[in-house]
Amino acid sequence: MNRVGAIAWNTFREAVRNKILYSLLFFAVLIILSALAIGNLTLHEEVRTIRDLGLFGIDLFGVIIAIFVGVNLLYKELDLKTVYTILPKPLWRWEFVLGKWLGMLLTLAVQMAVMGVVLALVLAAEGASFDVPTAKAVWLLFVNVMMVTSIAVFFSAFSSPFLSGFFALGCFVVGRSVPDIRALGEKLGENARAVLDLLCDVIPNMHLFYPSGAIVGAERVSVHREFVGADYILSASGYGVAYSLVVLVLAMLIFRKRDFV
Amino acid sequence: MSEIVLRADGLAKTFRLGFLRKRVEAVKEATFEVRRGEIFGYLGPNGSGKTTTLKMLMGLVFPTRGRAEVLGRPVPDRAAKRRLGYLPESPYFYEYLAPEEFLDLVGALCDVPRRVRRERAAQLIVRVGLEHARGRPLRKFSKGMLQRIGIAQALMGEPELVVLDEPMTGLDPLGRKEIRDLMLELKREGRTVVYSTHILPDVEMTCDRVAMIFAGRIRSVGPLAELLTARLLSTEVCLRSGVSELPDPPEGGTARQSPDGMLYDLPERADVDAFLKAALAKGASIISVTPRRESLEDLFVRQASEQGAA
Repeated sequence: MNRVGAIAWNTFREAVRNKILYSLLFFAVLIILSALAIGNLTLHEEVRTIRDLGLFGIDLFGVIIAIFVGVNLLYKELDLKTVYTILPKPLWRWEFVLGKWLGMLLTLAVQMAVMGVVLALVLAAEGASFDVPTAKAVWLLFVNVMMVTSIAVFFSAFSSPFLSGFFALGCFVVGRSVPDIRALGEKLGENARAVLDLLCDVIPNMHLFYPSGAIVGAERVSVHREFVGADYILSASGYGVAYSLVVLVLAMLIFRKRDFV
Repeated sequence: MSEIVLRADGLAKTFRLGFLRKRVEAVKEATFEVRRGEIFGYLGPNGSGKTTTLKMLMGLVFPTRGRAEVLGRPVPDRAAKRRLGYLPESPYFYEYLAPEEFLDLVGALCDVPRRVRRERAAQLIVRVGLEHARGRPLRKFSKGMLQRIGIAQALMGEPELVVLDEPMTGLDPLGRKEIRDLMLELKREGRTVVYSTHILPDVEMTCDRVAMIFAGRIRSVGPLAELLTARLLSTEVCLRSGVSELPDPPEGGTARQSPDGMLYDLPERADVDAFLKAALAKGASIISVTPRRESLEDLFVRQASEQGAA
């Protein structure tokens, strides 16, 4: 694991020294801070607006950063030929992919923690707290971002950054719309429903990670009132981790067979 | 016979390129062995398949046919990689890292304990003459400095076998001499060095054995001395005139005036003894007689043209 740790730490170090990520983080912080101004324009809904806009900012920029860094993670190593120096070392190729992925997760965890702290400060400025439902919501967004990263890494193991980004974004958009796709299948009839159900089983169900406003069980949950319980968090996290690992193993298998010309 | 540390046995690689999956045979047949403790040169013109062969030996490219063995293990093997150091062609490294950070990363990948790798990194930085560049990110390094840090990273795991792909490319004469000296030093330490190049004078100065590859096919393998002394090209004779005229050159020979006297270039088949007797009979003084054997460059050019004709 020392070798995987070394790759992971180097990936994190690369991200920390990348100015583009700071720019993205800056815009994310700007959106969360703007929630303060926008919240003040509403009547008695300041805290709700800040919390919604803050979580939206964390979600949006978390996914943008995950796709941006994820699709470049392996591609940059090939394009800059650094892989020629690293892979002849006593390192399995899967260790390299795993290390890059873990480094990426560490980067995203730090970035989301920074965004979470900014949200907490903005909430505190309005006299509200970064409560347990908000923490649960941020955790679910992190698991979602982990899935997006894995998918981006998977596509980048065999295609260009542009195509990888396109496919990863597509998975995210379609994955967030899983309940709508299932509902559409209900309306279209038996065959269409079977096809759409199969699609929904294969694509990552990312709607699970943004449940605020949705009906879970028989209850409508909201980050502002009754949010999802620990059992939901556990099962959604388990699904996210399992899906990410499966996709990551596929990426490793593809990477294992590649010629580095 | 010395232990074989690297073996390429009928290695071949065909790439499929482009939308139409056009076949490109980068290496058609590469068979050679490298023995422990020698400096082995892998020679060939640009695009002849040198880098692809080395990449197959390093496990970066999978051969279409043939077998590759490094340190007695089939490629790729993690245990063998631990005893191997490799410098890729025109190396690119993580440009945001300082040399000591980069060597620390490489040391960790080679399973070198943390404390040992700090000491070793510091020693290697001095050894390759980069002590003035400590703390400076690699993006600010010149080509020569990158080549040096590349060699340092190849040595970070204290390898028995060091494989360098075009280590002299882009270096000035001083940098090339430093790399040559370093390779000879590695040999004295008991390590085996394999390097690819098309810079022939460097090979003549360093290599014990060579393999030559042209258009993806190995043409000759052997000790440099054997490959070069086998063939006499001509004999150069320098004469100073006595009282009478100097003799004419024999058929196929040439003569021209040089500062030391008349310089004759006698073809391989000429009877040098008879020519010298005739010259002495005319009162000439013999200044020098130099057999001109095939140089590495001659051999390289001959084999390249034979390959072209084939």
